Amino acid sequence: MAAVILSLVFIVGLSLPGSLGAQQPSMTQALDLERRGDYAAAVEAYRAVLSTKPADPSALLGLERSLLPLNRSDEMLPALRTALAAAPTSPAVYGIALRTWAAADQLDSVRSMAERWARIAPTDETPYREWGAAELGRQNRAGARTAYLRGRQRLGRPDAMAAELAQLALAENDYPKALREWLLAVRRLPGYRATAVSTLGQAPDSSRADLLHLLAGESDLVSRRLEAELRVRWGDPVGGLRVLTAAMPSDPVQSIAALRGLLDQLRTLRTSEGRQVQGRVLEALAERLPPAQASRLRLEAAQVYSAAGDRDAARRMLGGLADDRGAPAAISSGAAATLVGVLISENKLDEAQKRLADLRPNVAADEYDSLRRKVTVGLMHSGELVRADSTIAADSSVEGLALSGRIHLYRGDIRGAVERFKAAGPYTGDRVEATGRTGLLVLLQPLQADSLPELGRALLQLEQGDTVQAATALEQVAAHLPPPYGGAELNLLAGRLLLAAGKPADAERLLRAAAVRDALATAPAAELALAELLVSTHRPGEAVDVLEHLILTYPQSALVPQARRKLDEARGAVPKT
Amino acid sequence: MKRREFVWRAGVGLVAISPAWSWSRRWVAAPWLLVPMDDAQTDHLKAYGLTFRALKRGVRAEWFLNYRSGAFLLPSDAATARDAALAGVQVEPLDDEQLVAIRGQVQGGNMDAVPLEKPPKVAVYAPPNAPPWDDAVTMALNYAGIDFEKVWDGDVLSRKLGNYDWLHLHHEDFTGQYSKFFLNYAGSPWLVEMVEQNRAMARSQGFPSVPAEKQAVAVAIANFVERGGFLFAMCTATETLDLALAADGVDIAASYADGSPMDPNASAKMKWNRALAFHDAHLELSPTIPVYSDIDGHQVNSPDRRQPLGSFTLFNFSAKIDPVATMLVQNHRQVIPDFYGLTTSFTRKTLKPSVTVLAEEPGAPWVKYIHGEHGQGTWTFFGGHDPEDPQHQIGDVPTDLSLHPHSPGYRLILNNVLFPAAKKKELKT
Repeated sequence: MAAVILSLVFIVGLSLPGSLGAQQPSMTQALDLERRGDYAAAVEAYRAVLSTKPADPSALLGLERSLLPLNRSDEMLPALRTALAAAPTSPAVYGIALRTWAAADQLDSVRSMAERWARIAPTDETPYREWGAAELGRQNRAGARTAYLRGRQRLGRPDAMAAELAQLALAENDYPKALREWLLAVRRLPGYRATAVSTLGQAPDSSRADLLHLLAGESDLVSRRLEAELRVRWGDPVGGLRVLTAAMPSDPVQSIAALRGLLDQLRTLRTSEGRQVQGRVLEALAERLPPAQASRLRLEAAQVYSAAGDRDAARRMLGGLADDRGAPAAISSGAAATLVGVLISENKLDEAQKRLADLRPNVAADEYDSLRRKVTVGLMHSGELVRADSTIAADSSVEGLALSGRIHLYRGDIRGAVERFKAAGPYTGDRVEATGRTGLLVLLQPLQADSLPELGRALLQLEQGDTVQAATALEQVAAHLPPPYGGAELNLLAGRLLLAAGKPADAERLLRAAAVRDALATAPAAELALAELLVSTHRPGEAVDVLEHLILTYPQSALVPQARRKLDEARGAVPKT
Repeated sequence: MKRREFVWRAGVGLVAISPAWSWSRRWVAAPWLLVPMDDAQTDHLKAYGLTFRALKRGVRAEWFLNYRSGAFLLPSDAATARDAALAGVQVEPLDDEQLVAIRGQVQGGNMDAVPLEKPPKVAVYAPPNAPPWDDAVTMALNYAGIDFEKVWDGDVLSRKLGNYDWLHLHHEDFTGQYSKFFLNYAGSPWLVEMVEQNRAMARSQGFPSVPAEKQAVAVAIANFVERGGFLFAMCTATETLDLALAADGVDIAASYADGSPMDPNASAKMKWNRALAFHDAHLELSPTIPVYSDIDGHQVNSPDRRQPLGSFTLFNFSAKIDPVATMLVQNHRQVIPDFYGLTTSFTRKTLKPSVTVLAEEPGAPWVKYIHGEHGQGTWTFFGGHDPEDPQHQIGDVPTDLSLHPHSPGYRLILNNVLFPAAKKKELKT
């Protein structure tokens, strides 16, 4: 079928005498020449088209484009005179003519051409807009203003050319004038509102109060919406919502449009306050929309409340959604899953576990396992190790094994922890988890005891964020272990923790205790950590001694290259990084 | 493998796997340590420092020119082995039999063994507040662990250069025009400080202007070389030193530097017989273009004349006939990527006929690395600012040489530091 149509087109093309058959190939040829950059030939081709259709807008535009790179734009003038004579009412020809005369610096011709065009189209703003644009193209703002004001006067409308005059005022940093013009423009064409907010939003701090004062003097919804959105732009989301709420129209279409406009501005804010207000606007929108749309907006509101740290509001939204049997299944289960996460982060583990049990039939197995592991981590953090262990018991995934290993470790079951960490493998979880687990294995492997409840408690304290207490407890455990069998490694860990906690003197004592020669696997790391501490406490000479000892005593240690680099730094031989 | 070698290597292997293995046991049996400078070397730059410090301890060393890219031979002692271990420098233990074999190889090829006896006393010419990371030589000396002292105009003019064997100049402008940055960087704090410091120094030394004072410094440096000193200059110090020397009585400084405009006929009035390396150059007359003359081939700061970077090739000299030039080009790479400086290269047409070209860009009208004699001393000029920062800009982060321990460009700098240690009678060039 396609072949038949193509054949017909080809035959029709060949058989058409006169206009179509003659002009189309020339126009195609002209465009092709222009595309290839052969502007001189394109000019001739466009002229050939114009010889038969002198006012053809495509050919005139092509000629204008092709003459420009040849620096021969003045050759447009005779072609345009011919075109105007042939089509004295064509807006396209007038538009090109205005531009051409402006480029040729013939301002009188520009003005008279615009007046001529306006006489043909007495209710149209376009002649004055093109006239003003031509003046602006010559950096002549005064000329552009004359054109726009002439248009306003001739058209007899106080809001004519308002958007153009607003832009002009902005170019001159006259924000109050720009605001007045934008109000006129938006009242006439609401589509200008986004541009008005965007341009007025750039007003400097010093002029913002004046603009708000000007807006307060206006009483219509357009002014209130503009004020509300500008307040959001200028970092006052609460004020923006207050202004809009006070002026909220009863008409649902208008109120939804107003709320959506404010929401668009709020989405650009990343502050907690901005997110709170965004949540409230989403809630207000949800109240005005059908249930399916409302559910999505409430879910989004929950997410922004959560991001703002307002867990109560997030939970309120999510709770409603999760229990809403009218909400789409995907949204209610998504809300329930988010709610479980929120409850865990609030340490409301009983409620989280209950929600999770209710959720089981409605979510995918992977998501359920992931949430269950989050509940387990929450239980582990809160020290409920037996409950955590029973919660994760049914999880046979490698992630579950890794988590189970940590629970066993905190319960003091060293052997069980090592077995589970090994079973989980080195790649389970994200990079931080995998590296942490490997670090724990390094710590545990020299230990000879199968069970060390004190060590488990110390590491649990660390997990719970009590670094200093954990370090003290680790030091106490280390005191009862021979250095090569865990004593040195625990002292090294305790030293590093105290250094991170801002206790360099205690850290130094523990690092020196860890740097004992019979703990071959630990001593180089302890000496390097000690040297870094000494450099950071402005004792480079002592650091040099420690590093030299490391390099010469443990030449096969993998840390020697790092030690040499640190030695250069301590000696001032390389710039500090 | 000979039985003795097998037994020795097996012994080393057993020692190496024992827990108490350490650097001191490793080389105790070998009387010599070879510091290879080919691709077996783990830190080429620190190898120079190792040798320098050994000389400082009073031991005799040898430089095996063209053998394993310029290896060093050091007596095996505990201090040297310790130093090598700390610096991460690869050393290979040699017994007498192995050394005899190497000497035979050196004797039979384009190689030579140059005794190194006394570490040179090194001075770096730099203003007191010069940042340590803005001068390639200072960075190389710091990284390699070679001692040096800083000198500036007051020391040079009070004849303290006689206390040193080796002097390094970097991007100093000896025409006294503040690297011709005065107009383009007007108001920059570092430039304000540089101008004030130089003006204060000129006043304290009794000179009417900075250009006049810098010219006197240039003459003092030339006198240091004439009396037997070793001079090594990089970047714009090369070009401006010669311009200052040749501009005896000719005003080559812009009015912002000395209050009077540059002599428009300065190029014709220059006394090139006073210069070390260059002649018949044409001076840049514009005070706003940070270019001095057509000595520099790359003209990095002149957008119209700027030339792209290529790479330069080291010449291969006869080690036994030309040991000095051979020492200066010892390297594990023969072709090295070029790098910009205020003076990047030296146009062939402005080189005096007596100049020895050590490295060039084949086919280009410029060379990179040159050497010559002046009186009883020698000078070496190396174009460019930082071999590992080819586009070096003001304010760039400093080069960290621990990331470039095999830098062939920096090796050329360090060749210059060690070559004054060579026993005088061996110098034939």
